[in-house]
Amino acid sequence: MTLFIILGVIALVIVLMYNSLIGKKNQVENIFAGVDAVLKKRYDLIPNLIASVSKYMEFEKSTLEKVTQLRSEANKPNLSDNEKVKLDSQISSALGSIMVAVENYPELKSNENVMNLQHNLTEIESQISAARRAYNQAVTDYNNAREMFPTNFMASLMNLQRKDVFVINEDERKNVDVKGLFHT
Amino acid sequence: MKTISQLTDFYYNTLYPQILELEKERKALKERMIKFAIFIGAVAFILFYFLTDKLHRIDSFVLVLFIIPLLGLASFIYKFMTKDYASSFKLQIIEPLIKEIDENLRYNPTYKIDQQTFINSEIFKEKIDRYNGNDYVTGSIDGVQISFSDLHVEKEEKDSKGRSNYRTIFQGLFIVTSFNKYFSNSTIILPDSAQSLFGSLIGGWLQSNNFSRSQLVKMDDPEFEKEFVVYGTDQIEARYILSHSMMQRILELKKKTAKPIYLSFKDEQMNLAVAYDKDLFEPSVFSSLLEYKVAMEYIKTLQLTLSLVTELKLNEKLWSKR
Repeated sequence: MTLFIILGVIALVIVLMYNSLIGKKNQVENIFAGVDAVLKKRYDLIPNLIASVSKYMEFEKSTLEKVTQLRSEANKPNLSDNEKVKLDSQISSALGSIMVAVENYPELKSNENVMNLQHNLTEIESQISAARRAYNQAVTDYNNAREMFPTNFMASLMNLQRKDVFVINEDERKNVDVKGLFHT
Repeated sequence: MKTISQLTDFYYNTLYPQILELEKERKALKERMIKFAIFIGAVAFILFYFLTDKLHRIDSFVLVLFIIPLLGLASFIYKFMTKDYASSFKLQIIEPLIKEIDENLRYNPTYKIDQQTFINSEIFKEKIDRYNGNDYVTGSIDGVQISFSDLHVEKEEKDSKGRSNYRTIFQGLFIVTSFNKYFSNSTIILPDSAQSLFGSLIGGWLQSNNFSRSQLVKMDDPEFEKEFVVYGTDQIEARYILSHSMMQRILELKKKTAKPIYLSFKDEQMNLAVAYDKDLFEPSVFSSLLEYKVAMEYIKTLQLTLSLVTELKLNEKLWSKR
């Protein structure tokens, strides 16, 4: 009788640990879908932005082309999460430099359409930042559960892999060096 | 936004004639009340003496039976006697103060934030049995809609003997404003009682297993996370609303009010409850209106509440919401 109770308790603990790990793993995936959605929102703005600024921006043609190219890469299917994260950070810095460059063109600065796009981008930037923070928290919870006692035994049995958080890279933290970007 | 010192000047200069008038009224009222209290006290004493004499003992039950209705009667009489004074105080002092802060604000001393708004905010989930409030202010500051009122919300509880009494769910200011970001889910921010009581490990576990609330949203600001607990139906949106700067501003607001604060973001609105634990904007018959401390309390509360818009930068409109 006692044996059955012990076995029952062990089974229950295993089920609970299994479920909590799966729950955390799904939470990460779930939130990544949210991250993906806001990233996509930004990609959708890019063609519009390029179209409105390319007439004026003679010197920055290469940057504009780079953004367009990054966008088409990001829209490819079957990208891994890590690739998406990497593309996102490249696009962020390229867009940032375009926005700074706009300041040098008075016609662009006063253009209603460009202003609108600029504000939309800032707005989406703040959504992306929120999504990243949510993702990082979910990943931290997941990684903690994966490595902490007692769920770590269960996690290694389930062969759960460690996931990476979004890293704000040093380039992005720095102020964008516009001249350096456009004259290389 | 007018500063506290500007409002203090207004109070002691522009409102001075009214204050003197009210002071006369207050002193007369105070005298009447003292006389009345002496009379009631004497009657009570005689009655009590007579009763205990008859029962031959001083039973604590008799005492309770006697004192509770007496206290009830006393508070009723107090309210009745101060009614006129309170209403002239509100019209002559509180309303001009509000108008001085912003011309287009409207004040209604008897109206309150309606119960449905309070329930919809989802801040307090308990069943409401008594809902009272007054001192309603509404209008817009810097393009941001704001309304607030004093509220006292209670729940009826029965003790072991079947007697019912009312327990306060919330008493203080309840403020509703429009919010400058679009959102479609709800995010609730409550004072962190579990973590400060049980420590972060057990407290955190308790929070994540709170069945009356939606998902726990852990915030990446340690100071904020220590003071508050956040529940939301959408992890990303909760962080969209609670940007790093917003969290700092909420912490700042908490320090300024020095009271427990509760927030909820729902239906494009921000709801804020500040638990002052007393009825605000009421005159006291026993302290002078000229006293600095008394005046400051009215001024500070009003200024703090109405500067909320600039304090939390609700007036900084996003492009998409213009």
